[in-house]
Amino acid sequence: MNTTTDGGLATDAGRSSLSRSFKPRWAWLSNVLLLVYALLTLYPLLWLFISSFKTNQEFFGKPFALPSAWHFDNYKRAWEIAGIGPAFVNSIIVTLSAIVLTLFLGTLTAYVVSRLNFRFKGLVMSLFVVGMLIPIHSTLVPLFIMMNKIGILDTYASLILPYAAFELPVAIFVVGAYLTSVPKDLEEASMIDGNGYWGTFFRVVAPLAVPAMATIFILGFLRFWNDFAFALVFINNQALKTLPLSLSVFSDGYGTDYSLTTAAMSIAVIPTIVIYLIFQEQIMKGMVAGSVKG
Amino acid sequence: MTNAGRLRAFIAVGLLPTLIIYAVFVLVPIVWSAYYGFFDWKGIGASKFIGFDNYAEALGDPIFWKAFKNNLIIVAASIFGQLPIALVLSLILRKSTFFQRFVRSAVFMPMVVASVVIGMIWGYIYHPQIGILNFILDGVGLGSWIRDWLGDPGINMYAVSVPVIWANVGPYLVLFIAAIQNISSEIEDAAKLDGAVKSKWLYKIVVPMIWDTIKVAIVLCISGSLKAFDLIYIMTGGGPAQSTELLATYMYNNTFEVFRYGYGSAVSTLIILISMILVLGSQLLMRRK
Amino acid sequence: MKKKPVALTALTLAAATMLAACGDNASNNNGGASSGAASAPAASGSASAPASGEKIKLSIWHNFSGDDLRAQAVRAQIDKFKAAHPEIELDAQAIPPDGYRQRLKTVAAAGEMPDVFFTQSGTSIQEFYDGGLIQPITPLLDKYPEWKNNFMEGALDRLSFDGQVYATPLSGSATSLFFYNKSLFDKYQVKVPTTWDELMTAVKMFNDNKITPISLGNKAAWLAQSSILSSLADRVTGTDWFLKAASQDGASFTDPEFVQALQLFKDLSEAKAFQTGANSLDNTQMEQYFVEGKAAMMIDGSWALTNMAATGTPEQLDQVEVTVLPSVPGGKGDPNSISGGSGGGMALSKTVTGAKLDAALELIYTVGGPEGMQAIVNSNSVVNYKVEPDQAVVTPLFYKAFTLFKSVKLTPVYDAYLTSAAADAINNGLQDLLLSGKPETVAKKLQDTQAQALGK
Repeated sequence: MNTTTDGGLATDAGRSSLSRSFKPRWAWLSNVLLLVYALLTLYPLLWLFISSFKTNQEFFGKPFALPSAWHFDNYKRAWEIAGIGPAFVNSIIVTLSAIVLTLFLGTLTAYVVSRLNFRFKGLVMSLFVVGMLIPIHSTLVPLFIMMNKIGILDTYASLILPYAAFELPVAIFVVGAYLTSVPKDLEEASMIDGNGYWGTFFRVVAPLAVPAMATIFILGFLRFWNDFAFALVFINNQALKTLPLSLSVFSDGYGTDYSLTTAAMSIAVIPTIVIYLIFQEQIMKGMVAGSVKG
Repeated sequence: MTNAGRLRAFIAVGLLPTLIIYAVFVLVPIVWSAYYGFFDWKGIGASKFIGFDNYAEALGDPIFWKAFKNNLIIVAASIFGQLPIALVLSLILRKSTFFQRFVRSAVFMPMVVASVVIGMIWGYIYHPQIGILNFILDGVGLGSWIRDWLGDPGINMYAVSVPVIWANVGPYLVLFIAAIQNISSEIEDAAKLDGAVKSKWLYKIVVPMIWDTIKVAIVLCISGSLKAFDLIYIMTGGGPAQSTELLATYMYNNTFEVFRYGYGSAVSTLIILISMILVLGSQLLMRRK
Repeated sequence: MKKKPVALTALTLAAATMLAACGDNASNNNGGASSGAASAPAASGSASAPASGEKIKLSIWHNFSGDDLRAQAVRAQIDKFKAAHPEIELDAQAIPPDGYRQRLKTVAAAGEMPDVFFTQSGTSIQEFYDGGLIQPITPLLDKYPEWKNNFMEGALDRLSFDGQVYATPLSGSATSLFFYNKSLFDKYQVKVPTTWDELMTAVKMFNDNKITPISLGNKAAWLAQSSILSSLADRVTGTDWFLKAASQDGASFTDPEFVQALQLFKDLSEAKAFQTGANSLDNTQMEQYFVEGKAAMMIDGSWALTNMAATGTPEQLDQVEVTVLPSVPGGKGDPNSISGGSGGGMALSKTVTGAKLDAALELIYTVGGPEGMQAIVNSNSVVNYKVEPDQAVVTPLFYKAFTLFKSVKLTPVYDAYLTSAAADAINNGLQDLLLSGKPETVAKKLQDTQAQALGK
């Protein structure tokens, strides 16, 4: 692992010569395959957007065709009927708060468990594994009763805290695994500089862990943003409802109005795409920064 | 404060808030749910303590084991499908060109689209009458391969595994890309090697270096596969005749549809136990290698 | 890294303010707060100043959340109540149907029921009754005898216990309407079947002409049970037998007549009456398949009327006719019948008392009373209530179906009388029959499950 130390410049040189030497032989083929694969994975999103402009007749009758007329008013109606505006705001508040909490506590704990030694470490780690295995539906009733007793039911906290709690193990393991592959030199230097544990955590460890944290940001955002089970049960106040509830209102139990459902979904999907694009860059930036620093 | 004292204080502050939130919102409900598993309770009205009867009934129910077997198929598909694909892609897609960015983003997109949408599209692919797959098979002269992909209990579990793999490569790709950050220079050095040596390089250099992340990914695969059911449920509803039943649907159905709350809780406790055994087993296997 | 959360929070706040501005308009349309001008200041007043605390707080939960006409009709009634009673602070929650049951079950397990809530008839409301969570609304019915007497015969049965009514049905359902495509029958000169033999002949003739005889999408498993078996088995066994078997009192599902009914279903499947892959299509797809003229017949419930109207063209819908399922020779059941019954209604929590009780009953009457019934039937929804739909508003197909519905006898739907576990067993059993299952095995599984669930 110490070979990282002076690999920075050599890497850049290596990269360009690599691409030159490999391109003619198989690069084009792999690129074509990649492109096909990418288009196949991109298709559902495209299908969703196209469907959102259709009538219900077209949705079922010609599922893969373009709409004969583009019904932009699907969006207006979906927005109004499902109350997407306020739900959108609530979702942003809840999701971002839960993410910030998860990232802060998760990274801190990951640092402690992966770098420092203490008693019962094994026990603590296995407790965290258990949390990743539970099917969340079976926690609904206990959580409901408990949060009702402590009086946080029907508040943002009734979503933020359980979201963070369930995502913490993932954060701890992912960031922890990442940190174990990072050399300890920088932290040791920081401690010698007199930064102390907190200083080292904020100035050295957290910046080093940016790629792993960005990963958790993406995964957590996705999970919180789309959660239906908790949002359905723990929030009563109409004004605090989050987005996933708005996406499933267009059904009467026997049939679904897909023109409105897909329009509402298309609105809801945009933030997750934006978040993914932003944080994917964070992961890659971390890579460049990491190799230069290393 | 002494050095040791400072260390202890930092560990305490670093662990306690996490542990408290985690214990209150995750561990307590787990224990609570296991406790409900000892009762004959509809979720409404009176309950009766019946000891291990629910647990025994679940373990004696062939449908439970059918669901278990189906879940193992999904676990296997995830570990041997998603992870290798994600790993290879993460090595190919480690640059920041526009094309690579585009592919990386595209691969993730099935994750952001609601499962309903993915399920519907694959429903059309496997559709018994207008299905794209059967159409293609017919077109290339493999008419005898045409099946009712989701309706035939002999093959439908394998049929639904494909979309599950396809839709879930994204997160592991992100995970692996983040992990190979640290070792980017080793990778570039090794990539200068000949193509023939390259495959060995993957196993000898890259995999060991991100081994910890791979281990975490496997745990995520196991836990995700045992908990997740939405995509499969949308495509088949667990049927026909419970042939695609999963542990999670079995649990959900008993808890919220069939009014057997106590039984559902017992099943969910069993799911945790089974997952733990699988996780432990996988970790032991990997330690040996 | 430290800077990022700050930047994000700022971004969030900006987005939030921006969206809140648009959101205000939308919320008016949502929860039915169209009387917002009156209710909004009052609501905030009661929160800050206890002086106006005399306001009665009432909560109602329902699953009429969508944009379909029936949901709009029900919500409009709730809004009317709100407008007429400014002294009541009504918290009306429209919960998506997909999650409704889960939500209700969770709060029930925690003992935190809303004051008034929608529940399905039969097994579902029985669970709440058995759990002691609801109280009768009989006094309300006695107060409005005209309303009470206008319900169709038996309409309140599956919502009553021990001589007390606990809810009135907001909708009715006919689960086994026999739809057929008139032009396909004309084109291939097939007689519209009135007996089972004629049905089998029709199946053969359509198959010979490469038309799917009967459209079936049984992915959701309850469909074949509710729509086909409920009526078919009744034709064979008669209603009395089923009620006995369901209560496990003097009849068993392993009796030969029930096995025969399952065999008739299996025969249909073996005669290739259904399209391939019937087990992997859902009811919307099956309705679509039928309305497009790809199948000649379809046995489906009254919900199909709405779904077909949403997905079919007027020309396609013109071809659709509706009647009763063919009779089975030698069967004990009344052939001029349709399986069906009452849909759910608004139940009243046991904890509601005093002035709040009066308010809650008034609310139930506003939603499910004569005016509500008229509004619901005008939204193309079957009701078990003697009322004439406005022909100018409803679709012709609905009008035909509702007229038929009023003229026939209703027989029980299986899953409204079976325990949930047994309903599950027969649902899965029918899927199995479409594959390779045997009628005897399916019958035995159903019998065992029902007996176990009833503790017999």
